[in-house]
Amino acid sequence: MKRIIAQAIKELKQVTRDRLTLALALVLPLILLVLYGKVISFTVTGLPLVIRDYDQTPRSRQYVETLMASGSYKLVEAAPDEKPETLLAKEQARIVVIIPPQFERDLERGRKAEVQWVIDATDSNTATTLRGQAAALTEAFLREHGLKGAEIAPVIKAETRIWFNPGGDSDKYIGPGAMAVVLALFPPLLAALAMSRETEQKTILQVYVSSISAHEYLLGKTLAFFILAVAEWALIVLLGMWLFGIHFVASPIPFLVGTVVYLFCCVAFGVMTGASIRDQASTIQAIAMVCFLFSFLLSGFMFPISNIPASIRWISNFVPARYFIEITRDAFVRGGGWPAVWPSHVALLVLGTLFLFVAWRKMRNMQLED
Amino acid sequence: MKNLIQKITGMRLWALFVKELRQIQRDRQMVVALIVPPTIQLILLGFALNPEVTNLRLGVVDENRTAVSRELISAFVEGQAFQVAAYYQSPTELGRALSSGNLDAGLVIPSDFAKRFEARQPSTVQLAFDGVDSNRAGIASSYAQRTMMAFNQRNGLAPVKMESPVIKPNLTARVALLFNPGLRSSWFMLAGVLGILLVLNGSLVAAGALVKEKEAGTIEQLLMTPAGATEIIVAKITPVFLLLSCDVWLALLIMRLVFDMPMRGSLLVLFCAGALCVFAGIGLGTFLATFSKSQQQAQLLNFFVNPPIALLSGATSPLEGMPHWVQPLTIINPVRHFATIARGVLLKGAGLDIIYPNLLALFAFAVVLVGLSAWQFRKQLE
Repeated sequence: MKRIIAQAIKELKQVTRDRLTLALALVLPLILLVLYGKVISFTVTGLPLVIRDYDQTPRSRQYVETLMASGSYKLVEAAPDEKPETLLAKEQARIVVIIPPQFERDLERGRKAEVQWVIDATDSNTATTLRGQAAALTEAFLREHGLKGAEIAPVIKAETRIWFNPGGDSDKYIGPGAMAVVLALFPPLLAALAMSRETEQKTILQVYVSSISAHEYLLGKTLAFFILAVAEWALIVLLGMWLFGIHFVASPIPFLVGTVVYLFCCVAFGVMTGASIRDQASTIQAIAMVCFLFSFLLSGFMFPISNIPASIRWISNFVPARYFIEITRDAFVRGGGWPAVWPSHVALLVLGTLFLFVAWRKMRNMQLED
Repeated sequence: MKNLIQKITGMRLWALFVKELRQIQRDRQMVVALIVPPTIQLILLGFALNPEVTNLRLGVVDENRTAVSRELISAFVEGQAFQVAAYYQSPTELGRALSSGNLDAGLVIPSDFAKRFEARQPSTVQLAFDGVDSNRAGIASSYAQRTMMAFNQRNGLAPVKMESPVIKPNLTARVALLFNPGLRSSWFMLAGVLGILLVLNGSLVAAGALVKEKEAGTIEQLLMTPAGATEIIVAKITPVFLLLSCDVWLALLIMRLVFDMPMRGSLLVLFCAGALCVFAGIGLGTFLATFSKSQQQAQLLNFFVNPPIALLSGATSPLEGMPHWVQPLTIINPVRHFATIARGVLLKGAGLDIIYPNLLALFAFAVVLVGLSAWQFRKQLE
């Protein structure tokens, strides 16, 4: 035990001496949190829209007014002889709405009228939303001007409730996830570097000849970077709660316990990577790949895990951030408490122990037997 | 001709270039690092970033258990949007499953549902959605509304109110989806992600190659040779550049084979843009390398610069979704310009006449970044 603590203290001293690394490790996550949380958004407004009104009647102008009143578009002018396709290709417009001649007359006489929406579908997600808006706004136009025909009496009505986040605040979705993803990056990075640095600079030989055993050495490293991770966690949670306007909706105990197992798991992953890879540059690449990319893509941070094809979805079972996101979303939004989240805690504990075990196997093989 | 070859091979630059090539050849790890991560990243990003809302997990409490109630449930499943995840005995149980995050939506059908249906009286079912992801919940609830509407239309009563009996206006919005009619999100993501990969890998590898020399102390030996700073840098950059340019073709091959990406414009134009993007990345990497003493520092600095470049490029999320004060800042991001070019060339079949402003911007970035790093490098040497 004494030797574990001694190893941890030595490690922390070494980290605090490298000011640049320490500063990056503490400040960078905060910047990332702001970037992740505030910059990425799939809610798009102010898209440039071009109107081709071939009718030029009060009715057609009313239609345009309805579109613009929604506040989702920015009306832009375009040369009248330019084809809609070209306008979209040049990104002068994202939508071209074409109102046909005799729009008013057809409407008034109950003949079939069609407004054409030409949408740039390059960004499929935005295009899906726009397609919905086209139908909804056309419907709204009819209703607003009393043009709606007879309606069918419904057999069933739905009483719809949106749980947990009735205001539709996207910060409540992104915020807790961003905290987990950002925390997944730096603790393992620093831990892995500290491990592979010893191998690269051959100071590991000194460790071998000392009386410290493999598990003491590993636990010492884990403890040191765990402490550092807790400091980072405190900064991130404070900033995150303020930035996203979220607070605990249930007892914070599952969250705090979850934090401990998650940080342990992340650091253990770093220790394992550092023990397996011998030079620092490749270590950084490996950590960047796994912790940055996997935590970002395979954790359910942006889109649900069930959307990923099964052939790569299984990887997400080994991504710690995936489980911690469940815990943070529960603590800050759902409030289901222990019954809802205990499996995530168990998974994190199992993963962390597994990572540390692999690292221990690697280390033990390198050390001579007593 | 022979003279020319002799002249080239006799050049100092050529000798340095050969040295770098040999060094890379021996450094298997670097070659692997240039091929494996971009391939994995491209495939992962293409598959994993999928914003579609399908297969929502629906929990059902059917207190009625009749043919009619089952018909309503199957109406939900028919549209592919929902799948029944589980049946529950009571709304409380359903609520518990919803708070554990095991469900996306819940449906409660009251016990008198069939009776009222036979009697032609409207009844009310309850729908609950997990609103944590507000975007998804919104789309899910509109799916549910549409399902209910279709069910009503199929089983509906005669119209009750006849407000405008004389004419029934008939207006529809016909939507034409250009460039990506199948609405495949991977097409959008991949075209942008390619830019991120080129700049990021360029900067990582270039920084690594330069700092390695510093770290090993061999940079002094290089400086003692008659070669000038510019020659050293050019010789260092060229092999990395050539290797990374191959990555462009590799990426295009993956896009074509794995994701059926259309290639409507000139691939040569896209390749030029890719090469400029690699240049910008290399310039960025060498610039960062001049500030760092060890590989570790160089990589950490890369960590500092890369996420903003990746996230503020509009490669994975729409530019228009960013806060308004951020949007103009993206103009100084090479990846943003590359993403515009890639989407233009691949999906829209755009030619030089449309994308030249972005190409010029990329060119400017490449020149400025490489020039800056060369200047900074030389300053350090003196």
